[in-house]
Amino acid sequence: MTAVLSLRGLGKDYGARTAVGAVDLEVQRGECLGLLGPNGAGKTTTISMACGVITPSRGAVAIGGIDLARDPYAAKAKLGLVPQELAIYEELSATQNLRYFGSLYGLAGKRLAGRIAWALDVVGLRDRAVEQVKRFSGGMKRRLNLAAGLLHEPELLILDEPTVGVDPQSRNHIFESIRALRGMGMTVIYTSHYMEEVEALCDRVAIMDGGTIAATGSIAELVAVHAGKGLELELAGSLEITALAAAAAAHHGTVQRDGHVLRLLATGGLAPMIAAIEACGATIARIESREANLETAFLALTGKTLRDES
Amino acid sequence: MIGAAIRKDVWLLLRDRGALISLFLLPIIFMIAFGSMFNNSSDGKPRPIAVWYAPGDQRGAAIAKTLDETPGFRTELAGSADVVRQRVATEEVGAGLVVPATGPIELSIDLGAPVQVRGPLQGALTSVVMRASSSIPIDKLPPMVEARTPPGLARPLAEITPFQVTVPGNAVLFGFFIALTVAMAFVGERKTGTWRRLLAAPVPRWKALLATLVPYYLVGLTQLAFLFGVGIGVFGMRIAGSIPALVVLSMSVVLCAVSLGLLFAAVARTEKQLGGIGSVVLLVMGMLGGCMFPRLMMPVFMKQLGLCVPHGWALDAYYSVLVREGTSLADIAPSIFAILGFAVVFAGAGIALFRFER
Repeated sequence: MTAVLSLRGLGKDYGARTAVGAVDLEVQRGECLGLLGPNGAGKTTTISMACGVITPSRGAVAIGGIDLARDPYAAKAKLGLVPQELAIYEELSATQNLRYFGSLYGLAGKRLAGRIAWALDVVGLRDRAVEQVKRFSGGMKRRLNLAAGLLHEPELLILDEPTVGVDPQSRNHIFESIRALRGMGMTVIYTSHYMEEVEALCDRVAIMDGGTIAATGSIAELVAVHAGKGLELELAGSLEITALAAAAAAHHGTVQRDGHVLRLLATGGLAPMIAAIEACGATIARIESREANLETAFLALTGKTLRDES
Repeated sequence: MIGAAIRKDVWLLLRDRGALISLFLLPIIFMIAFGSMFNNSSDGKPRPIAVWYAPGDQRGAAIAKTLDETPGFRTELAGSADVVRQRVATEEVGAGLVVPATGPIELSIDLGAPVQVRGPLQGALTSVVMRASSSIPIDKLPPMVEARTPPGLARPLAEITPFQVTVPGNAVLFGFFIALTVAMAFVGERKTGTWRRLLAAPVPRWKALLATLVPYYLVGLTQLAFLFGVGIGVFGMRIAGSIPALVVLSMSVVLCAVSLGLLFAAVARTEKQLGGIGSVVLLVMGMLGGCMFPRLMMPVFMKQLGLCVPHGWALDAYYSVLVREGTSLADIAPSIFAILGFAVVFAGAGIALFRFER
């Protein structure tokens, strides 16, 4: 397979602070890669460097085999970005927005008109083409945001949390659009805080934390290698004792606390963790085993949950 | 791509009622307000001057007659000296003359008024009294003083209305407000993420910058064309000099304003900063440059200070083109070079400080 996106030792420093250490990542043609990570993990910085929006402090980016630093315009022409923000003009109509964004990629005349019609079809907004965007629902605006990114039919489409704040119907519409684009052979990078979105759409997942890629692989591989056996405990008694118990258990694995509930992932067996909890004087009111999944793999790798950090 | 950016920004502007009002309507309101303020001749009618003299007093009668015959003045006889003083105190008239049977004549005028306002009236009325007191009849007196424009200065138009000054004054003041609109556009693009989308596109960064600046340069030119058009069509403003000089001057002024907008965009991070600090900076520049109060009427130090801002140079050049007959492009070239110099400094600083990746 050919790598549509190749990141080699890509990093970014802001003064003394390192936002992204050194990311190595390859995205193959036709695949959909999910980029998961809590806020501050460096996902958006990595994506921005990959798109040429910000200049990396080190490393290299190649899009479709073209070095971004050497030939930025040819490389960028192969890429479509759907930013996290609603990067559209609300005072203009959908068509006026797309006409402008299409011109950035050298589209004009009949070709541009054709591409606009196609993109509006993909996102299901053809019948609202001439309406002012400010009259659109949040979900429709998100769909137009997506249309603006795929107008020039890029080889690689990068979606930075494209479903933030949308209703389930629009989310489903966006999912269908992405599946349709994948059916046409488009390569997709999808970042999200929603584990189930990544599970539903992506073939492969890269988990980012602290400015580095903690792990990459298919969902099955990540679960098999990193998820381990999970346990959920509910403790009786005070929250102080629960906090003490969580701290003690953390010496033997990964612990995530939510009120009186502890979610455990043991690194060397569950018995020492439970013993440590009981040694703090905590009483276990409920105990449940948790099925290994992408969420438990993420927890094991980062010690955090996605949603709580978002 | 720049053509598409122009179309996009024109559409956005047409749908932004606030921007349209501040760019096109507010300057007209200011032109009318300032034009009325500086209109001393009360719509061309002679100014009334209250006069009292004792019945049968020949000196008083001669002064009243001379005043009536003096262009720009009209005698209004009062019943008593106190009535004259009262009418001056209540600002019904600008000044009054109390002529006793013997002794000095009293000029009743508010000495608290600025000398720039009071001086010309005081001088004119003193001259009227002197002429009336002359033993030779007025029509037999040879002209004692003849006003002439010195060589080196082109002859001004015969009648200069306040709008010859207030139209360019407000056009320059509000023309420079395009700097705020430019900076707001950059802040808005960054805020909504469209700037990020632009940087991700295969577009050189200089072109991304131009795509935001060029549309507002054209809007600025349209604004000045509209304001001068209204000045000519509605307020009767005339162009005494060459039209190409006016066009080149206006193009330079807008270029300078857009460059200043780039500098604003480079240093300001939020719309609040721009709305607060940016507006104050532009108003102070406008004030120093003579947009609100003509530099012609300022003391020497303030006149020189006015040349520290492009507004001062622009207004000097506009005054020449609009008021002095035969003013050519060469005549106002020094002002144009000064304005372009400011534009280079603003643009240079703006480019140096502008952060694409903020």
